[in-house]
Amino acid sequence: MSTSWYSDLPKYYQRQIAAMGLDDAGMSRRRLLKSAGAAAGVAAMSGLSFGKPAQAATQMSYMCWEGYNDPRIIDPFNAANDTDIAFDLIVDSPGGFAKLQAGASREVDLVSSDMPWITRMGPAGLALELNPDDYADVYATFYDQFKPPFEPLLHDGKTIGVATRWGWVGPCINTDVTDPDEWKSYDPVFDAKNKDKICVMDWGDWPILPMALHAGIDPYQELDAAQLEEIRKVLRAMFKNTRTLVADLTQAQKGLLDGSLLGCIGAGSYLTSAVRFQGHKNIIATVPDPKNGIKQGIIWVEATAILKETDQPELAQKLLKHVVSKDAGHTLSLLETTCNVVTNKAVEELYTDEEKSILQTDYMWHAWDNSQMHRIAPNIDEMLAIWQEELANAG
Amino acid sequence: MSAVIDRSWRDPALLGKALPAVLLQTTCFLAPLLMTIALTFQRTRDFQLSWTWSLHTWTDVFTKAHYWTILGHTLFMATLCVALCLLIAFPVAYALASRLRAFQNHVKVLITFAFLTDATLKTFGWVLFLDKNGAANYLARGLGFEGDAVNILFTDWATMLGMVYNLLAFAIFTIYLSIDEIDRSLVLAAYDAGASKFRAFWEVTLPLARPGIWAGAVLIFLLAVGVFLEPKVLGGGKSPMSAELIRQTFETRVNWPLGAALTMVLMTVAVFVVLLFNRVYSLKRHLGPA
Repeated sequence: MSTSWYSDLPKYYQRQIAAMGLDDAGMSRRRLLKSAGAAAGVAAMSGLSFGKPAQAATQMSYMCWEGYNDPRIIDPFNAANDTDIAFDLIVDSPGGFAKLQAGASREVDLVSSDMPWITRMGPAGLALELNPDDYADVYATFYDQFKPPFEPLLHDGKTIGVATRWGWVGPCINTDVTDPDEWKSYDPVFDAKNKDKICVMDWGDWPILPMALHAGIDPYQELDAAQLEEIRKVLRAMFKNTRTLVADLTQAQKGLLDGSLLGCIGAGSYLTSAVRFQGHKNIIATVPDPKNGIKQGIIWVEATAILKETDQPELAQKLLKHVVSKDAGHTLSLLETTCNVVTNKAVEELYTDEEKSILQTDYMWHAWDNSQMHRIAPNIDEMLAIWQEELANAG
Repeated sequence: MSAVIDRSWRDPALLGKALPAVLLQTTCFLAPLLMTIALTFQRTRDFQLSWTWSLHTWTDVFTKAHYWTILGHTLFMATLCVALCLLIAFPVAYALASRLRAFQNHVKVLITFAFLTDATLKTFGWVLFLDKNGAANYLARGLGFEGDAVNILFTDWATMLGMVYNLLAFAIFTIYLSIDEIDRSLVLAAYDAGASKFRAFWEVTLPLARPGIWAGAVLIFLLAVGVFLEPKVLGGGKSPMSAELIRQTFETRVNWPLGAALTMVLMTVAVFVVLLFNRVYSLKRHLGPA
């Protein structure tokens, strides 16, 4: 494993550094572009002629989560298509969406983000509507669950994007310090004996939605005032036992590993897989059993969409297909920062038993069956406002 | 003298000279500020900004108590941070300017190095130190304390520790510069007049160091109301301060009008508090020492 000047920093800051293009890859890319630019400038100024100028690589811009920019995924595409892809790394989906709205949609060709934010690009007029027939070759090897018409990615019956990577949200626990059977519901979150032992991810709606489900409310339906009041109560109760809210994966992972945190709420396989990748198979992401007929887990999906304003629609389509291909999918599902299953079933053929164990592939369809599909929650702003209010009162 | 008095804003030469500065201020400060104010009167629909003039956001701000709870908490933390920084910084600065003159350059370099180290690294360093399994508890156990003797991580105490640690250098340097400027003969004159060391310090050194103390206090207060790293990383995010609330509103809720309104509230209150301090300071200066 190679190290860099920032590899000792928490993952969150590593992502920021990469997002700013200050990582090794970014710096080399910049140096390359800069030196190429300087060389061209000098050549132009001095009137030198080098014969027929070489064809410049086509510039593309890809807004994505870290991992999608892995050189093992991107370099083969660049080599095959003579492209040079610049990355705009997302550190949070709403932030990425806001950036697109603020004008980045004119620069970006392709976006890989959380599915609800990809779907939102439909009504916002940002995404190119896709014709599923154009992607028949891609969908042929997909798990049936993600084949079109994949309803969560539809807007007005039109396909907005293609699902790429997925996982589940549920309690993340250390089986050495807590019994997984206890976590067949979210009850331990509210148990007085667990005071100051619960970690809540500070990831927008992610910790709110499971708590709504625990309260017996489907947050993906339009909610009335009484239901929002119930969510308020359950959040208030959750904060009573909360030791910390963390936005950084490594802080939560460290707490789970050393046992100072009993369970993490608002995350799931996205959090545990990287620790399992390092050999800590005692850290697992579970999905509670259905309660009063309501599934308690949540399936998150990342999807990729093409920007309406792209000036490279064909290349963008090619890149989209490449990202969900078998080889790229295998790389994407086993990154150092996080490991997650992908939507292309063909990738399964490439997994070793160890990789299957890291990804909890024996558990994934159980998680799927006991989970809601994450999508746009109609009352999310009210729920986030309640979250802010209860957090302020809990402090 | 009269030439200065006669000059007014109608003087074309003066206007011409002031124009670049006025343009710069207008472009870089006033225009964004006005745009931010304009943003507060808009609405969001489906996570998109909708340019419809409305008082909805301001109604929200003035009717929801929790925004003000967080603001109050922020002001309290910032004020406490100022007080602690000044309390710690004054003796350090005084020692640097008087007792440690021989080593002052070395000490200044050390403080500067600590000051220039990235606040993120320093803050995460404190997490490792204060963690249940961290160095602090290891040392405490070595000294015979049982269990988790140091258990302040993810509390307001840890937030305050981080804030003071990260902002202390501002106070040390401003106060040091002020003390260093004091004419030593004034202190000696006080001694000649029969003043004790404490009285000479109280009636000569401290009043003359006041500009530095004041400058440090204002600087730290303005920086402290804007901190978000310390409450989030060391405080565990359970007791958010205004900057984090604003970040959440802009990023997580994608509610730019509300974020802009909360920013305006924070700016206005911070400026008001500084002006209030300034007024008190001016009054004290005007009245002179008792």
